[in-house]
Amino acid sequence: MADQANFEGDAMQYAGQLYSAALRMTRNPADAEDVVQETYLKAYRAYATFKEGTNLKAWLYRILTNTYINRYRKKQRRPSEVELGELQDLYLYRRLGEVSGASQSAEEEALDQFVDADVKQALESLPEHFRMPVLLADVDGFSYKEIAEIIDVPIGTVMSRLHRGRKALQKKLWNVAEERGLTGRPS
Amino acid sequence: MSTACDHAIAYVYQYLDDEELTMSRRARIKWHLRNCGDCDGAFSFEDRLKAMIKEKGRDDPPPELFDRLRTLIHEERQGFSR
Repeated sequence: MADQANFEGDAMQYAGQLYSAALRMTRNPADAEDVVQETYLKAYRAYATFKEGTNLKAWLYRILTNTYINRYRKKQRRPSEVELGELQDLYLYRRLGEVSGASQSAEEEALDQFVDADVKQALESLPEHFRMPVLLADVDGFSYKEIAEIIDVPIGTVMSRLHRGRKALQKKLWNVAEERGLTGRPS
Repeated sequence: MSTACDHAIAYVYQYLDDEELTMSRRARIKWHLRNCGDCDGAFSFEDRLKAMIKEKGRDDPPPELFDRLRTLIHEERQGFSR
């Protein structure tokens, strides 16, 4: 059992990361801050139920994710995203390889051309089912098991969503690369 | 592309995420990467892409966020003690 008096000292260090995650979820700074504030308030009120010595960061992310879903998923009411279809494994690597020819490690160098906004936009454009696992794994560095607990799905589901979500992210990045003419080929 | 390549690529994320792979499977993939330039290049690319997403997919919070959160918690605490 955690002591509410220690909440600030224990939890405040994660606020920056939570804000960044909330921003990728809501795509809007004001909404992101609202979600983080609500998360911290709920977490403070429930802190006595937090088992000391367990994973506080994951516990906070779980509250954040639930808060976001309760607030915004109903509002969006978008028809569920069209199926992504089956994308080739190593999608971005293969596409970049096709345009860069035989030159060694040209694919990796091509990655340097993506700016922050490209990556953020690509992440935010992912359907929610895929966006969450990709954000939690790639940006926040959670393990599969932690992600399973945060979004409350079985670990096998985390793995398949992560696999497909990463491929979808690669396709978005490839589209950005083509639009911006980063592929070294006049579009 | 060989069966060994297909095997390696199928587990690329579990390998790079350091997750859910038996030691023997991990060792087989590691051995394969040493002997297959194409797969080694692909794994190296995926690893670098992962690092790029971590680095470029993040935002700094507004500096006032921390003060606002502290105020919120203090108000909540006083609300209960009143």
